[in-house]
Amino acid sequence: MSLLEISNLRVAYDSPAGTVMAVDGVDFSIEPGEFVGLAGESGCGKTTLAMSIPQLLPRMARITEGSIRFDGQLISDLNEEQMKPFRWKDISVIFQGALNALNPVQSIGSQIQEPIRVHDSSVNEVQAHERMCDLLEAVGIPAKRALDYPHQFSGGMRQRVMIAMALACQPKLVIADEPITALDVMTQAQIMDLLRSLCDKFDLSMILISHDLSVLAQTCDRVAVMYAGKIVETGRAEDVFGNDGAKSRADHPYTQRLLKAYPNINHERVFIDGIPGMPPDLSQPQHGCRFADRCDLAIARCASEEPRLSNFGNNHQVACHVATPPGANYS
Amino acid sequence: MNDVTPTHPTGMVRQLWRLGLGRAGIIILIAVAFAAIVGPMIFPFDPAAVGADASSILQAPGNGHILGTDELGRDVFSQLLTGARISLFVGVMATIISTIIGASLGIFAGYYQGPADTVLMSITDFFLVVPALPLMIAMGAIFGQNLSIIILVIGFLSWPRTARIVRSQTLTLRERQYIPRARSLGAKNMRILRVNILPHVMPLIIANTILVVAGCILSEATLSFIGLGDPDRISWGSMLHFSFVSGAIGRGAWWYFLPPGIGILFVVLGFTLAGQALEQITNPRLAADV
Amino acid sequence: MPYIARRTLTLLSSIVAIVTFNFLLFHIIPGDPIRLIARSQHLTADEIAKLHHEYGLDGSLFSQYLTYLKNLLHGDLGFSFTYQEPVIDIVKRTVGNTALLLTTSTLIVVIAGVLIGVFAGSRHGKRSDSSTVIAALVAWSLPTFWVGMLLVFTFGVWIGGLPISGIKTPHAIYDNIFQKWQDIGMHLILPTLTLAIVDIAFFVIISRTSLIEVMSEDYMLTARGKGLSRRTIVWGHGFRNALLPVLTASVLYISALVGGAIQVEVVYSWPGMGLLTYNSVLSRDYPVLEACFLITAVAVLVANFATDLLYHKLDPRVGVQK
Repeated sequence: MSLLEISNLRVAYDSPAGTVMAVDGVDFSIEPGEFVGLAGESGCGKTTLAMSIPQLLPRMARITEGSIRFDGQLISDLNEEQMKPFRWKDISVIFQGALNALNPVQSIGSQIQEPIRVHDSSVNEVQAHERMCDLLEAVGIPAKRALDYPHQFSGGMRQRVMIAMALACQPKLVIADEPITALDVMTQAQIMDLLRSLCDKFDLSMILISHDLSVLAQTCDRVAVMYAGKIVETGRAEDVFGNDGAKSRADHPYTQRLLKAYPNINHERVFIDGIPGMPPDLSQPQHGCRFADRCDLAIARCASEEPRLSNFGNNHQVACHVATPPGANYS
Repeated sequence: MNDVTPTHPTGMVRQLWRLGLGRAGIIILIAVAFAAIVGPMIFPFDPAAVGADASSILQAPGNGHILGTDELGRDVFSQLLTGARISLFVGVMATIISTIIGASLGIFAGYYQGPADTVLMSITDFFLVVPALPLMIAMGAIFGQNLSIIILVIGFLSWPRTARIVRSQTLTLRERQYIPRARSLGAKNMRILRVNILPHVMPLIIANTILVVAGCILSEATLSFIGLGDPDRISWGSMLHFSFVSGAIGRGAWWYFLPPGIGILFVVLGFTLAGQALEQITNPRLAADV
Repeated sequence: MPYIARRTLTLLSSIVAIVTFNFLLFHIIPGDPIRLIARSQHLTADEIAKLHHEYGLDGSLFSQYLTYLKNLLHGDLGFSFTYQEPVIDIVKRTVGNTALLLTTSTLIVVIAGVLIGVFAGSRHGKRSDSSTVIAALVAWSLPTFWVGMLLVFTFGVWIGGLPISGIKTPHAIYDNIFQKWQDIGMHLILPTLTLAIVDIAFFVIISRTSLIEVMSEDYMLTARGKGLSRRTIVWGHGFRNALLPVLTASVLYISALVGGAIQVEVVYSWPGMGLLTYNSVLSRDYPVLEACFLITAVAVLVANFATDLLYHKLDPRVGVQK
């Protein structure tokens, strides 16, 4: 049984301009101990998808269809009070922008300790304090800094604090929302290594959201690519991105264009193509493939019929009419 | 400041109307303005006409006196309508002076910065800290009690707040990209101020101004109550002053001390509601409330 | 503590500025202050000349200023013509009463105002929030002195039941100190209530706005994500942060409080510095008026100083060298 099973999820945002379907029919699952990347450009729905799991969506958003099952239990129809026991204890979040996500007037130590005692009343103060120090050491922060305030840390260290805090209650699933976007390249690498090693060490599952594919390629077991509220490609990282130096085996045209947008240091210097056009307006109903009007390979069928995820072997799924599984013959 | 923020007055009024609070504010203000302008033309009595004999003192409403008479037998309702004019006049005039000074200094300090800014802001902060009413009382006592001086005194103590707000906004605007670009195109400072900065500071100035009017009207009322109002004019504050010192409260003459206070309350409330609603419109961070 | 030192320096320079301003306002701008006094007291030419010399007013501007400063430092605030005694003695009699009134009111106003404001803010969008806002806006638009008049009428004339004048019952004899304070307490009720009605509104509006802004901050989402109870989220995380802008805004409040106190003391004949100010205006007793203004202004400066220090203590981000 999968740790997390999302089936046919639809999430709508009510705005003055109309209802926007930010997530429009998504199936997604994670196994225990799996490190999954969720990729896509801004506005594709990846944060909405992830935040609907612990039901931390903003007020104007709601789940309209579909289900989310965690450890077999249906959690998508729970109300706020019923969700609280799951939050942090089973599912925790590393938010984007660590400076604002930490309470500026509270020491980092007490912020890390806070959820420990809330979710487990059998833990006393001494034990909670010890656990907090262990967590700080695990993320590479000296325990004596527990009394310091968030503004006294650099960006990278604040992110480590967020990670320590997310692990406080030994969750089964951690959602990391763009955890390294605001950091410099060196720190990015350190944080990614840290996340990967913690995931392995504590045997937890992680959903890593990012628009930076190079980051996902290096650390994730599996990757799902989202576009305009739907998952268009999913599979093992090496299947979707291809090994370093080898030709990419991504099969969805959108993923291919995304990968082309990143220069490869081993290849010849080429001009980078952006993807012309804009993502569709999700307040309008969609027909056919949502990427069709920006796609080079689009055929007539793409405009009228929405492609479904089909298997390309090795659990590699692609939703495209034009892409063909490897080994098939071209005429 | 986003594109939704209206910079044109009619746009602002339209948005104001949509907000419940703003609508209430506008309605109140229109009613008061009507009463102030039209009222004195239709009132039945001369507000200064003293009563004929002792029996006409502090009469309850009746005998053609809608709101009864005061301690000298004068008609309260007529005084109320006349008083509206003075209260509003002083409030608005003081605000105009205060806004002109405050906005000019604020823009100047925010745009040119440097030593001029430091000096201006020190002066501004000084007057922000000095308690307003005691200073107004002191100045009123020293400089005299005619209407112009009162207007100047009240206006003089209201400009610091405007200056601070305008300066903040100017500082923010100054950092926007089109300012250095305009300058590199050869635009002189005055032109930049007029074309680029002023239109974007205007909504803020207007919202702040309306709130300042509320404060000035309250200040005038308080000064008159203390006894520092213009003795030749009737204002709501002076009516309350006389009702207090003549012992009307002890005699239960509610028709004398209730209406002027209610009048002040409504006018101040009207400006406050409209001003708060306008602030919401020009500062989107405060979001939609009531 | 470099911050405290810096702030104290600012306080001292502000006090010097206020003293100088006071000097200019009462001695220079109106011209000859003796002339002001002479006008109200109908002095003879000889008496005027004598006063000129006594007050060192026949010297240069700067020497007058120095004399003024010297007198201040010796606690000499001048001589009151209406009371016929040194101003400092009158002040000593009255300042305590005003302090009592202000302290009681501030405690009530701040505690009640912030609690109501935070409560309303946490219910943003609901009916209890909207009605609180409207009530606060109406209360804030009320003239303090008029509220006093209404309360005097209600509890003094109409319904009765509460004392409406002075600080103690006239000619009262007390068996013990407890009785005396009970009497004072009864007299304190209406003046405090009058001040409170208008000023609570200020804190309700400010703390509500502050809490609403804080609620939209990212760390509030983190708190929600941790599965904390609503009470912990609002009061444990939101409150502390929302309090900071409230402290900053209370600088305005202190100024308004002092103005309100004058009005209240007039309406209730409360024997404090506010009533003293009022009487000195009526009788044009400028030395008294001057002393009232100076003391009030300096008190406000000191109160702001204390508020700043409190803010510095509560916000760990402040105090870093710029």
